[in-house]
This record gives sequence, C-alpha cells and structure tokens, in this order.
Amino acid sequence: MNPIKKIFELLEYDFSDAGKFAKLGPLFDATKTFFFLPSPKNKLGPFIRDHLDLKRYMSIVIISLLPVLFFGMYNTGYQSGLARGETLDFWPSFLSGAWVVMPIIIVSYGVGFFWEILFAAIRRHPISEGFLVTGLLFPLTLPPTIPLWQVAMGISFGVVIGKEIFGGTGRNILNPALTARAFVFFSYPVSMSGNIWVAGADAVDGITGATALAVNAEGGSSLFSTLSDQGFSLSNLFFGFVPGSIGETSALCCLIGAVFLMVTRIGNYRIILGGIAGLIITAILFYFLPGTRGTWADAGPLYHLCAGGFLFGISFMATDPVSAPGTNPGRWIFGFLIGFLTVILRVANPAFAEGVMLAILFMNVFAPLLDHLVLKHRISKRIPNV
Amino acid sequence: MPEKTGRINCINTEIMIHMEKINLSKGFTLKLSGMPDTSVIQLPRPDTVGVSALDIPHIRPKLLVKEKDRVNTGTPLFCDKRDTSIQYVSPGTGTIKKILFGRRRRLLEVVITLDAMDEFVQFDPVSAKDLSQISPRELADHLKQGGLWQTLRQLPARDTADSAAAPPLIIVCLNGNDIFSPHPGLVLQDKIRQFEFGLSVLKRFSDRVIVAARTNSLGLLAPAKHLITLQVPDIYPAWDPGTILYHIKKEAKENAAWYIGAEGLVHMAQFLETGRYPVNTMVTVTKGIDKKPHLITRQGSPVHLLAGNYPPGSLITTGQLNGRIKNPDAHLGFFENTLNIIPDTQGDEMFGFLRPGLDKPTVSKAFLSCLLDKKVQMDCTMHGEERACINCSYCENICPVDLMPNFIMKALVSDDIEEALELGLLDCCRCGLCSFTCPSKIELTRILSSGMDAHHKDKQG
Repeated sequence: MNPIKKIFELLEYDFSDAGKFAKLGPLFDATKTFFFLPSPKNKLGPFIRDHLDLKRYMSIVIISLLPVLFFGMYNTGYQSGLARGETLDFWPSFLSGAWVVMPIIIVSYGVGFFWEILFAAIRRHPISEGFLVTGLLFPLTLPPTIPLWQVAMGISFGVVIGKEIFGGTGRNILNPALTARAFVFFSYPVSMSGNIWVAGADAVDGITGATALAVNAEGGSSLFSTLSDQGFSLSNLFFGFVPGSIGETSALCCLIGAVFLMVTRIGNYRIILGGIAGLIITAILFYFLPGTRGTWADAGPLYHLCAGGFLFGISFMATDPVSAPGTNPGRWIFGFLIGFLTVILRVANPAFAEGVMLAILFMNVFAPLLDHLVLKHRISKRIPNV
Repeated sequence: MPEKTGRINCINTEIMIHMEKINLSKGFTLKLSGMPDTSVIQLPRPDTVGVSALDIPHIRPKLLVKEKDRVNTGTPLFCDKRDTSIQYVSPGTGTIKKILFGRRRRLLEVVITLDAMDEFVQFDPVSAKDLSQISPRELADHLKQGGLWQTLRQLPARDTADSAAAPPLIIVCLNGNDIFSPHPGLVLQDKIRQFEFGLSVLKRFSDRVIVAARTNSLGLLAPAKHLITLQVPDIYPAWDPGTILYHIKKEAKENAAWYIGAEGLVHMAQFLETGRYPVNTMVTVTKGIDKKPHLITRQGSPVHLLAGNYPPGSLITTGQLNGRIKNPDAHLGFFENTLNIIPDTQGDEMFGFLRPGLDKPTVSKAFLSCLLDKKVQMDCTMHGEERACINCSYCENICPVDLMPNFIMKALVSDDIEEALELGLLDCCRCGLCSFTCPSKIELTRILSSGMDAHHKDKQG
C-alpha cells in the first residue's frame, strides 16, 4: 500500500468526530483529499459522473496563473536590479525576485488558510478549493514592497469579510482577492501608491517608481513620447518589463493565461472578450475627444490594454464565476462594463490612476441585477409550463 | 435509368415531407462503450417473476393479493389507491411466494413462483373493426382492467395518463430511456401490424399522434419507416418524451401531452387483439465494453438471471443517467427494459486532480481526454466531493430543454416554487445531465425532480 495513504489511515480516527482532534477534521480532510482524490460511489442518479470537479477546476486557474507568477518573480528582481543600476541576467533576477515575492505568497496562503480552517471547523463543512486561487491572486495584485503584516491584514479582510461572513465559497458577492486588495489600497494608501513599485528602490535616489498610468505628458508633448522616455514603450508594457504590481505588468503573460482559461472553458470567454471590447471601444471614443492631448484620454486602445492591471483583472479576477453573473448575456454586459468603467476611472477620475480593481468590484455588486434582468427576459421567452 | 432515379428522388421527398426533424444543440456528447448487439436471444422461462412498485411513478399501491394466493397471468396484484381501476397484473401463472415491503411498509415487490404452464385471465378481444364502435372511455376502462393502461403516461409529472381528459397530443417514443435501451427495430420486428393497430388505438384518444425515432435507429426500422413522423438526433436525451415535447410545442396547452414506448404500444395492441396479457419483453444488458445481444424474457424476470457475472462493486442500474439502482435479488420493473452494469474504480487516486487525464472522460475541456475521439467507459463513482454552487453554468450548457438548473436549484432550496416554475422547472426531462456535469457534484437532478414531484403531489391535493 502507498505509504502516504497508510499515514492518513493511521491518523483518521484522531480527526474523526470521536477522536481527540475532531475540531480539526476539515483540515485533515482537506490534506487527505489533496493527496488522494476522493471518488465515492454514486447513490443517486445519474450513476455516471463527469471527471471534472472543483479541485480540477481551481487547479486549472492556478496553472493559468503560473506564467504571470513566474514572470512577476523575474520582473521584480529585474526591476530592483535596474533601480540599483545593474542589468541582471535571468536567473539572478528570478531568484532575487522570488526572494521578495515568495514571503508575500506564503503569508497570504498561511493567514488565509488559518481563517478558512477556522470557519470550516466551526461550521463543520469541508474546506473549499476556492481559496487556492484567492490566496495566489491577492499577492499578485500587490506591489513587491508591501509590508507582510499588511498582506496578512488584507487577506484576513478578504477571506472573512469578503467571503466567509456570506457563507463561504459560492455565496460571496465580491471577489475575495479584490476585496482584500481594496482593503489594503484604502487602509494603507502609503504602501499602495507613490514610490513603492520597485523592491529595494528606496535605497536608491532618483528613481521615480511611478507606474505608466500615473504618467501625464506636460507642456503639450505627446503622451507616447513621455511614456517612452520613462521606459514605458508599448513593447515594454506588452512584455511587462516595467514596474508595477507583481503579477500585472506583463500583458503577454496575462493573455497566455486568458487563452488557457478560455480554451479549457474554465474562464468564461464572454467576460474576457466583452471586457476587452468594452475597453477598446471606450478608449477609442476618448481618443477622438478633443483637448485631451498628453493625458491618458489620448492614449488609445493599445496603451490602455497593455498598461496597468486591466488584462490581469479581466482574465483572472472578473472570470471568478461566483462573483460574476451566472447568465451568458449578463456575462457579456458585465465584461463590457468593466472595460468601459476601467477607462472612465483612468481618464476621468483624478483620484485613482488605475481603475480596474474598482470597476470589477463595482460590477460584482451589479452582477445579481444583470442576472435578474436576463432571467426575466428568458422567462418571457419560454412557453409557460405551470 | 433517368426515369428510375427520378422515382427514387420522388419517394425520398415524400418521406422527407412526412418525417420532420428536431435539432438539439445541447445534450450528452460523450461516446460510451457497451452498445448492445442487434442479435436477439430468447431466454428460458425463469423460476420466479416479480412485479415491482418502485419504478411506477407517484403510485400509492393497494395490495389485492396475499402470500400463498394462486394467480393466473393477468390477475391483478395491486392497484393505485388514487384510482383503483388502474391495476398492475401478474405476468405469470403460479403462487405468490413473497410480498416484500421496505421501510414504513412501503410495497417493494410481489414475487410469484411460476408454474410450468400459463393460464390466462381471458378478456374480450377488440379487433380493428370494433375499435371505431367503442368510446375512448370504454377503451380506457378495458385497458385498465387488462393492466396495460399505465403504459400511457402524461407529462410533465410522468404520472399515469388521466383518462378523464383528452390529451393535446400523444408522443410514441420508439427509443427507451437509456442510450443503450432496446433497439426499436428489434422490438418491432414482425410486430409492425400490431404497432399500426396500436397507433389506431391512440388515434381514438387524440388526433395528433407523433412517432419519434433516433436517427441511428432508422436503418433497422425500415419496415416501419412510413409510420415515423419525427426524426430526433443521436444525442442523449433527444428521444425522451419531455425533450421532444419541449422542442415541438407551440403553446402551453400542449404541456399535458401523453407518451408511450414502442413495446408498451405493441403490448397494448396484442392485449386488445388476443384478450390476453402479453408476457414477453425485450431487454438489453450492457456491461463494460462487451457487446451483448438483445434478450427476450418474461416481464418481471429476476435481475441476477439477466445480469450474469459482473465485477464486484458494480452498480446495476436501469439507465445510466436516468434510471435507478437495481438490487440483484430484485425483479425487472414494468417500465424497465435495460440493465446497465457500471463498474467501480480501484479506490482513490494519488494527486488525481493534477493528472493530464487522457483516461478521464469529460464533457468539459479540462482533461486531455477531450482531444480524443474514442468510445469511453465510465465508472459508477462521483469523481469528487460536493461543494457549493459556483455559478459555472456547466449545467445550463448541457441542459437539453434550455433550463438553468443552477438558478432553479437555488429557487427550490429557498422554497420559492413560483420562481422555479417560472424558470421552466416542469420542462425538466429528468435526464440527469446537470448532475452528471456539475463540477461541484450537486445533486441537481434529485433537487429538481423532488421539486416537480412535490408540486405534482400538491396539485393532486
């Protein structure tokens, strides 16, 4: 017999309802089912079942996040190297980046799982796989300089207030990872704006450390040349060699993840394509508005697409099925309005340089309303049967 | 030569005009292994037969016999308390061996030890000529006495047809409930005349009779081709009466359609012609990748006799997706004509959720197996654990009658039957695909079925 299985069987009694660690039963179950996929016999029809389960579902999201995760580690190291005036090779960049990023991820998972286990133990329900994704998404939206205690506070807020008080995975209104980020963003603004985007940069003078979205051209020069001067050429933005949140910088890696999610049908393509369409159309409309020269209204669709966290948000945050609408027309509208609102916030709201987080959270709140309208419409189309 | 081709074309167009088609954009797209052979074997007479009360929908049985009573073929064994004229009769002659009850004295089966020879309860035969002279009401009463009225069932609750009201239409479903139910071409072999007679019986109840067959059944059905009016695609559950009705109905009053299976209709015709209860039935048994022949056996045959040998731990069901579990000691039910023996797996799999999954059949795109186009064998396990609904819409994407099972489930668990009905709950054809595909392993089919049953019970008062 498999030795790991033997260990689980030895411990099984202690974690059962009669055992001494009965309270930690959910933790035991979660660990056990991580190693051994449970497959109980069907008691109710249908007697054959598809192989896709929530563990597989969430694992696919994790796999789709690997490109942005690895690139994020590399870029964190690379940017901090640049700030010190060195151009690092791949492995030194990657390793020094991982040294910064891994603690953030570990704190996020560790603290988040603590809350998950606590709620699961009190409520006596199994630990849901949803947190595997939340716990990785949240660190990727943070700047690499974030203090670890703020990571812990953020993920606690996201898990407890964003999800568990509603009843856990599947019942939350807002995306828990974005709720966590919004908490950090508004509670600790010093850590989330200004000279924070490059790890280890505060040791060096003369680094502006702003993201592309905070740049505005002055004195009538064009936005594009100003962006280029500061290292934000379109190709840099596309490939991601710019400072920013850990996971958001590379449009390419986000697109790879988005395509993987769409091909496996785990992320809904309607949200992603609707969002990109909304962003492009709104950006074009602003582009043709007069008198916007030098601001982000003048940036046009490509810059809006590649700069900031839009592609990260629309691919990985907006596609969270729980907080998005559950109807297909609703998903198109939801995605489109996220794209629309992102540009509006970036261009028309001077308080926030980046708008995608607020756009998604705002549309999360409206998702049930969109569903309600679509359902009413569908009911009117059916031949009644009552 | 050109003349001849012209004629063939002409015949083809005639058939085309005759036979309508429905399209199904959703449904079960996996190819399962185990399709039965088209050979037919007659099984020897069993020692016992049973009449099961478990596969009869909504019934409240009232026993009419005791243990050790003698019964003839056609003697009523129990009736439905809701309408005592609807009787379930003995498919053999012999002695009542045992009457089995479940919890709270729920009737499970009446088991009969068979004699060597059949003695029939004789009824007056009804010929094609007589048919026009008797009223639908008399015809219904005659069929109820003979124990065959219940072959006619009524949507949406799938209860026994209500003879008091004329149905808007009657659907004759040639293919059975399961993907591997008996081939209608074999069921109707040498019985086309009876089948036609049966159709004229149905015409006495409704002007609109629809005969529906799967596309891949049409080859063997050639002798009956002129009687088929609707061709349905080969996607499960396109041949289910609820699915057919959903795709052909134009107005709300059609919801109360009746339906009947191929064998039920032939039995009805045989009973009317001979005055005797027809006792033989055709069943299929599917097991792994074996191709098994069709079996002709007596109604109510013991399951273990039909099932033969199978791997331990297997589930025996009367429909992989929409049947029920059969105990090997039980007997085949009145409406059951297929046994699917579904194997178990060898325990939990290490890191099962991380494997590429070439051997994991799925209707999603989350395993590499979705790239292969080959017949697959499913096992009888869940492949995961129950979780909360995450609104992924996999159930909506597979539902053959365009329901949103996730939203209906939420309406039902919050006791909002009105919203569930508005969302089309009663269109549900209980095909089981929503539960099949749900990644959170929620028992959607059970929740929706229970909601429909509760609503039906409520309506009956």
